[in-house]
Amino acid sequence: MAQSNPPFMSGVPELLLLRLLNDREMYGYELVRSIREVTSEAISLGEGVIYPVLHSLERNGSLKSRRKPVGGRTRVYYSVTRKGRERLETLQNDWQRIQTGITSALESPGNA
Amino acid sequence: MREPNFKRLAHRLLKSGIAPRHAHRAVTEIRDHYDDLVDAAVEDGASSQEARQLAASQLGRMDDLVSAMIARRELKTWAYRFPRTAIVIYPLACLAALPAVPVFAGIANASLIARWGASLLAAGLFTAALLLLLQLSILFG
Repeated sequence: MAQSNPPFMSGVPELLLLRLLNDREMYGYELVRSIREVTSEAISLGEGVIYPVLHSLERNGSLKSRRKPVGGRTRVYYSVTRKGRERLETLQNDWQRIQTGITSALESPGNA
Repeated sequence: MREPNFKRLAHRLLKSGIAPRHAHRAVTEIRDHYDDLVDAAVEDGASSQEARQLAASQLGRMDDLVSAMIARRELKTWAYRFPRTAIVIYPLACLAALPAVPVFAGIANASLIARWGASLLAAGLFTAALLLLLQLSILFG
């Protein structure tokens, strides 16, 4: 099982959720499965902890939700709003900047 | 790991100031998530008991779920987010609403008041009839 790394994970669940929901609407269980799949199980979230993030994103207008009955259960499907796409772009840019910085630091001669 | 107690989870979230709509929906979603995990484990060949234990461990500790919700201030009720303002606004709102209380109480208990009114009317008519009968018996007696 993949280990979680809380301090460095700050903001990552938000980024991953927005990225996945940008493609299509999904419900919580589906999202957790997709995160595992797309990250090759490198990132494993405590499964229930995804819901506060989803609710917060909905509260700030990045996501919208709708209830849909599926197989006798009422699923809450989430999808990205225009504000959410803007937020995703910002987060992606931030993440890439951090990634470039860390890669650069690791490859610098001082580390040899 | 013990099976999650969703009723207790809802109670803890509400007690911590999470807005009821977020608390109730989160608990419903988490319960459905747990059921999905159980179904998946059973499909993979686990017994019902094993599946429930596995699902509980995958879902995570209830304490972590509560902490994750509480950490997000925006999910709390207005009074929890702005306690100082709430302390001022709520008593004033209660005072302002005081004159309307009898009206709302009347609307809420309309059927009871109607029954009470009808009983009073019947008693009044009965008493009036008795008095009239008494008066007539004095006049023509």
